[in-house]
Amino acid sequence: METAISIKNLSKDYRRLRAIEDVSLEVEAGEFFGFLGPNGAGKTTTISVLTGLANFSAGQVRVFGHDVLTEYRKTRALIGLVPQEFNFDPFLTAKQILTYEAGYFGVPKRQAKERAEELLGFFKLTEKSNDGYKKLSGGMKRRLLIARALVHRPKILILDEPTAGVDLELRYQLWDFLRGLNKEGTTIFLTTHYIEEAEKLCSRIGVIHRGKIVALEPTEALVRRMSGDQVELYLKKEMLSVPEDVEAIPIVLEDKGRKLRFEERDNAVAKVLKSLHNHGYEIDRIDIRRPTLEDAFLRLIRDPKEKAAP
Amino acid sequence: MIGFQALVHREIFRFISVFRQTIFPPVVSSFLYIFIFGFSLGRHIKTVEGVPYLTYLIPGLLMMYIIEGAYANTSSSLFISRWANNIEELLVTPLSYVEMVMAMLIGGLVRSSVTATGVYCVSLMFVRFPPAHPEVMVFFLIFVSLTFSSAGMIMALFAEEFEHLTVVTTFVITPLIFFGGVFHSITMVPEALRWVTQFNPMFYMVNGMRYAMLGISDVPLGQCMTVVVCIFFVLFSVTVYLFRIGFKLRK
Repeated sequence: METAISIKNLSKDYRRLRAIEDVSLEVEAGEFFGFLGPNGAGKTTTISVLTGLANFSAGQVRVFGHDVLTEYRKTRALIGLVPQEFNFDPFLTAKQILTYEAGYFGVPKRQAKERAEELLGFFKLTEKSNDGYKKLSGGMKRRLLIARALVHRPKILILDEPTAGVDLELRYQLWDFLRGLNKEGTTIFLTTHYIEEAEKLCSRIGVIHRGKIVALEPTEALVRRMSGDQVELYLKKEMLSVPEDVEAIPIVLEDKGRKLRFEERDNAVAKVLKSLHNHGYEIDRIDIRRPTLEDAFLRLIRDPKEKAAP
Repeated sequence: MIGFQALVHREIFRFISVFRQTIFPPVVSSFLYIFIFGFSLGRHIKTVEGVPYLTYLIPGLLMMYIIEGAYANTSSSLFISRWANNIEELLVTPLSYVEMVMAMLIGGLVRSSVTATGVYCVSLMFVRFPPAHPEVMVFFLIFVSLTFSSAGMIMALFAEEFEHLTVVTTFVITPLIFFGGVFHSITMVPEALRWVTQFNPMFYMVNGMRYAMLGISDVPLGQCMTVVVCIFFVLFSVTVYLFRIGFKLRK
């Protein structure tokens, strides 16, 4: 497999603050990669380094084998960026925004116009072709951002929080669209803080927290590693304290001692059931929920001691 | 090359799309200058170095609008791009830094050429004379435009607010142009103050244009050309350098 993005020991300081510390990650060509992290963790900074919008202090960043500093013209031609904030040229109409951007990327004029029209049609913006971006609604602007990133047919599409503030219908449309694009071979690098989005779309996840990578592995493996099934056990009578023989299991008593909540790890369910039986508690019902990426994510960023698996 | 052309096109399109703010005002104010200064004042001054005052005035005025047009174009275009953040549209593209800078400079050159043509047409309403050295006119038009287009870009990068750009126009560029001899010859300045003028770059630009159009100058043509070309190369290099390091462009 060809490596689309390779980041090695990347560090970046903002004045005295270390925004990114020793970040290393690789994204294979054709992969759908999710880059997660709380606000201010370093997601946008990493993207900015990749696309030429930020300088960096140390490390090496390559795109399809080309260095982003010494071969910036090659690397930039390969990437399409959908930024988080709207950054359209205020002097241009929607159609001009697309044709000029295609032009900057070296697409000949006639072809640029054709592609602009095609993309405006695809993203249902044809009626707004001749309007400045300020006349577009939030959802339309978001679509125009994506269209602009695709106008030079990049091999890698980088999206920074593409569904922030987007209504549900458009979100589902975007998801379908991105899946399709990925199937056709475009490598996708997505940052989001809708964990559900990453879980649905991405085959592999990187989590960044306070400028450091804290996890980097296939989505399912990460979820499994970080969290067992979530068990909720309802009792017929209340329990005042957790019996001694299961004290080692982190059990949370809720609902005035009528509900026990814990995670299935090291046969916890069997142990708890046995203990309850021995102590004469009757069980009303049991709910078992499969863990989600959100459980894993929260655990990662809440407990800084938790490290990624080797 | 396609990318470069697209950016040049965009720069020209931008100032044309707001021609009421970019092209009309200088053409209208040049009419006022020529009318008030040339017509009324000219009656009293009669001739400067053997040339009617109205005629003497035209090259300096032309140079003034070339400088202001070039500076205004690149400084506002780049500053607005930074302010609206659409500079990012450009920074993510495979255009080289030299291409980005050159394309914007050409935008400034085209704007000042359009303005200069307008001002020249206005001057034809008052006085007509064939330029002495048209090729020298073109030389100064190009190099002075590129010089102040570079200056405009540098200021657009340093400026934090729009006001900073106009402060430079009001307190630096306009006074230097006026003291550079738009309305007077150095021979009209008290001898004790003449040496100061020699440190004013605009003095060489105004005189270069005056030589090109009228065949007279306070300093030799070679000196005027050398000064302009040197300043251009310094400012151009600084601009490219600032783009290369991403000064106030990249985080």
